[in-house]
Amino acid sequence: MTRPPAEHVHWLFATGVLLLGLFLLAEAIVGTEAWRRRPWRPYLWPSFAFLLGTLMWLVMVSFTSSTIHMLAHSAWAQALMLAGAAELGLVRGKLHSPLWRLATPFAFFVSGAAFLVHEQNPWFFQRSAFLHHLMGWTLVLGTSVVIARALRPGRAAANAGFAILFIALAVMLYSDRDTAPVFGHLDPLAGEPRR
Amino acid sequence: MTRAILLGLVLALALPGIALAHATVRSTFPEYRQRLDRAPANARVTFDQAVRVFPNSISVRTEGGRLVSGRSRAAADPHTVVVPLRPLARGAYTVRWRALSADGHTVAGIWTFGVGVAAPPPTEAHGASGPTRAEHVVRWGYFLALALLLGGLGFRLLIARELPPGAERRFYQLAGLGVVAALEVGILAFVLRAEDALQLPFGELLYGNLDPIARGTRFGTAFLAMTLGFVLVAGLLFLAWLLERRVLLWAAFLTSLAFASGLSLSGHSAVDAGASWKSQLADWVHLSAACLWLGGLLQLALVVWPLAPNERRQAFLRFSRLAGVLVALIVAAGVYLSILRLPEVSDLWEEPYGRVLLLKLGLVSLALSWGAAHHFVARPLVERGDGRVFRPLSRSLLGEAAIGMAVLLAAAVLVDSSPPPREPQPTKAVTVSP
Repeated sequence: MTRPPAEHVHWLFATGVLLLGLFLLAEAIVGTEAWRRRPWRPYLWPSFAFLLGTLMWLVMVSFTSSTIHMLAHSAWAQALMLAGAAELGLVRGKLHSPLWRLATPFAFFVSGAAFLVHEQNPWFFQRSAFLHHLMGWTLVLGTSVVIARALRPGRAAANAGFAILFIALAVMLYSDRDTAPVFGHLDPLAGEPRR
Repeated sequence: MTRAILLGLVLALALPGIALAHATVRSTFPEYRQRLDRAPANARVTFDQAVRVFPNSISVRTEGGRLVSGRSRAAADPHTVVVPLRPLARGAYTVRWRALSADGHTVAGIWTFGVGVAAPPPTEAHGASGPTRAEHVVRWGYFLALALLLGGLGFRLLIARELPPGAERRFYQLAGLGVVAALEVGILAFVLRAEDALQLPFGELLYGNLDPIARGTRFGTAFLAMTLGFVLVAGLLFLAWLLERRVLLWAAFLTSLAFASGLSLSGHSAVDAGASWKSQLADWVHLSAACLWLGGLLQLALVVWPLAPNERRQAFLRFSRLAGVLVALIVAAGVYLSILRLPEVSDLWEEPYGRVLLLKLGLVSLALSWGAAHHFVARPLVERGDGRVFRPLSRSLLGEAAIGMAVLLAAAVLVDSSPPPREPQPTKAVTVSP
């Protein structure tokens, strides 16, 4: 029953999300045409998203100490897999309907909703509550950027915004530290710091 | 070098630990399902953080529901809640706990232990009422999902080896629906089982500790393993579609077959009196053959018939041969398991389990008669290439599949029911100190 601290898992996934963001940022900086000169590059971020979704299931089955976290992790796992799979299908030419471009915005929205629903404390209750709200709203509001990218795939601003969303999420996940003085222990009702 | 760095990153991500959020149980005394030789003086729960204790934070009850615990209090270590116990007699005990987590949420859980006897799984603890109708329906959904997945893959690999693009797309849609449903319905089934064991209102169930059910029961272990297994199948199926690699379909099919055994390794065939590796194997064969048969019928009716008219004749004849083998396996394994679970013929009408089995046997007989009509009446016409038979055969195949689905519903109720108890084996007496 001994479990490692949550932040270790969050940091591992933060690394994955950061890589996703860096791949996308590189594409936004050099332009889609230059990025696609190597045939494997278009597959890079969707494959990575799909892989992260698959790995998220490991967290889901390992973390059964509360129902809501098990369900939230399964929602994030499925959202990542859906976004990755749809983008891979589009890149490969297996999916033709432009509606599939909306799979990633949908995954963003579902992920954000899962963050907001599973955190029932207010923003300043404690650090984890603050981060859950911040990530939830970043994902929900960021959906508009992802929709813009889906509707206008060539727009550099939308591509850059999409990349920055991932990088911002990675920073938030890296900020999940129980001992960090940055956000401290904000509400006396939350009791003593855990460690 | 670049490859090495990428490989290192992938490996680092492949080894995640476990996330924490609310107060999480670090340890309990007695441990989950621990069998003690001597009665304990108290029961304790230790969390990863300090919690607020209620007077009834921990309650311990006998199998009959008698309360044997006193007032709960925080121990010297503020992370631990302790409750004194009255002198306990030999028997099984249920512990229910609840505490206010540092984040303001009430966390709760359950576990069992035994004094001089083996502890029951938490799903059979005092207060748990057993499977409900909702669980029957959910288990039926799980069987249907397995049939769509296993039967679809088996049909595609063994029967319809070449399909036109439209039919190929429909095949992937049905198999994909099967694997997604297996994951979603599996989660729902697990949460429903936990809800019954924990006996908590929905709001508190969200923060209920599922660890004792996930790790302390065969059902929970099977759920965890099957979830990961079907995630792997989902990945393989997706890659098979994306890359058009048949070998990945074989990998998905064999993985599905292997992980379907989770049901056999956690159900009646694994835990009831008389259970052995033979009963588990028979159960797995019974389930797998039924899924292959029903899923194959659905593929034939929904994929080949409407979308691959040139393949109808060959697919029907091939499936007809395979169905003969599958039916033989279903009947042989089913008869063996029935004899094992119902030693007396009169159990069939005297026991609730027997009556459901009788209903299932009736439905199976109907399905077999329908299949026999296909085999002995329709098949010769198809072999002769008589095109007039194809149109009515489509509806007839769907009819047979509908009966097959009804059989699975009866099977779902049967799995959630308890076979009649057998004569108890004499056991060695255990002396217990109070």
